[in-house]
Amino acid sequence: MSRQEIKSEITGTVWKILTTPQQDVAEGDTLMILESMKMEIPVIVEDGGVVVEITVAEGDAIQEGQVVAIVET
Amino acid sequence: MTTMKDAQLCEYDARKAHALGMGGEAKLAARREKGLLDARERVAHLLDAGTFVESGLFGTSIMAEERGRTPADGKIAGYGKIAGREVAVISNDFTVKGASSSAVNGRKIGHMKRTATARGMPIVFLGESSGARMPDTMGAAGMGTMLGNDPTQYQRMRETPWASAVLGHCFGSSSWYACLSDFNVMRKGAVFAVSSPLLVSKAVNEKIDPEELGGWRLHAETTGLADLVVDTDQQALDAVKTFLSYMPAHHRQAPPRASVPEGSGAEMGGILDLMPEKRTQVYDMRKIVRTIVDKDSFFELKARFGKALLTGLARIDGRTVAIIANNPLHKGGAMDVDACEKGTSLLVMADSFNIPVVILVDTPGFIIGKEAEQRRAPGKIMNFMNALALCTVPKLSVVVRKSYGQAYLNMGGGRNSDEMAVWPTAEISFMEPAFAASVVTGAEAGDPAYDAALAKMQRETSVWDIASIYAAQAVVRPEETRDWLAQMLEAHELRLTNGVGQHLMRAWPTSF
Repeated sequence: MSRQEIKSEITGTVWKILTTPQQDVAEGDTLMILESMKMEIPVIVEDGGVVVEITVAEGDAIQEGQVVAIVET
Repeated sequence: MTTMKDAQLCEYDARKAHALGMGGEAKLAARREKGLLDARERVAHLLDAGTFVESGLFGTSIMAEERGRTPADGKIAGYGKIAGREVAVISNDFTVKGASSSAVNGRKIGHMKRTATARGMPIVFLGESSGARMPDTMGAAGMGTMLGNDPTQYQRMRETPWASAVLGHCFGSSSWYACLSDFNVMRKGAVFAVSSPLLVSKAVNEKIDPEELGGWRLHAETTGLADLVVDTDQQALDAVKTFLSYMPAHHRQAPPRASVPEGSGAEMGGILDLMPEKRTQVYDMRKIVRTIVDKDSFFELKARFGKALLTGLARIDGRTVAIIANNPLHKGGAMDVDACEKGTSLLVMADSFNIPVVILVDTPGFIIGKEAEQRRAPGKIMNFMNALALCTVPKLSVVVRKSYGQAYLNMGGGRNSDEMAVWPTAEISFMEPAFAASVVTGAEAGDPAYDAALAKMQRETSVWDIASIYAAQAVVRPEETRDWLAQMLEAHELRLTNGVGQHLMRAWPTSF
């Protein structure tokens, strides 16, 4: 098991959070959707595991590279 | 009566058995327990059965007192076949002095490289080595004997394909060859770096975890130096074979043509369903790529690096192609510095080995902002652009949705491809209309001036405008894309040179 910090790939705003802590997630699942460049940009799980923490809230402005969730894989 | 000849043959048998015994049963057993193949098992898995012919089996350390303890001097070299085609292979035997680089095994590598280059065959490096052998290299005489005696040792001119598998801890030469190779697969748990964690900790007084120093996540996600990551030795060796199946044996040959698997193109009818109706929503371009190319032929490279651009090898109608495609799933398809470097690296390989390039376009442009500028985005965008311009293999570009700004040129627009097709869903302009309307009017959505400007700009992004001035050579229905690409690959065959390009980037750096 290892803790993976899930980072935003892009600067934007958190639009919709689709997962909650303790939830199982599989590779390819969408954790949340960001709004950036007039587009809906998903934050996707690369390695399946369990969501430990969501570190942002809907409406938050976030920077590229900012940690938005922790997933234990 | 035992004759002199019998005794000599006995000695041959004994020495051969000793050399094949590598670092001894205890070390080999310890590896087996961990599920790792040894250097000779790796060669056996890589090559067609019974084809390996070893070069330098009886090589040992140059130090007289070490000769009995250095079977094959820790690096196993030779020739063999993969899918019936000749290759040269170097397999590091970590059980013999950590496969450290020595005067003798350096000669073996040099001989393999010279032969492969002169005779036109790929080289495979199976990496797992601890770096230069000490005390051989210590002192000025050690350096003079060992290092720097071959000025072409780390020269790369891309005469033949090089593939590397990082299968253990790799420091020094195994790292260098991994970086110099056209394809580098890494097994999880393996590490490659300039120096070992031990040396790092002594030199800079920093205790560091090997995974952090050079593990798979670092190289797959941050440095992009690993093209593929797998779980086992066997998968890594299979990946090398798959990579070579797309490649010609050398740069003066076209890639081999494969048969077309049954079912290729069967899903083309539904290709447009893979793209969302709303232009603000994203999708995974990999699904579009897999639908277009020959069934199961897409071999993605650097999948976790610079993800807004996806790259890989594939086949269309049995012909090897290099795929460069924006992936809106990541960053909306807006290319960052990593994406530019990833694209450049594929273009250089494709041109060097006569592989036509297929570009699929859906990008709002390049990522802009402070971070991008600090990472030298303008330079990286121009390297990418220059690489495309220097490509002498056929280049085919298909705009499936957005193509904006400078990225329009980098993705093959403006005569930067031999043929450019657009889907009716495509939109082409200098800037995303919503931003442009705001820049031009100084207003935001809801303002009548903004709304009018936006409506006009959106109309003007239509594919019919670009087709009518012949800046796009074709408008194709999405479901006809595979057929169009197959026909254009045929039309643009390099007939005058038997499929061989000019290799203007053969000396381009192998990493970035």
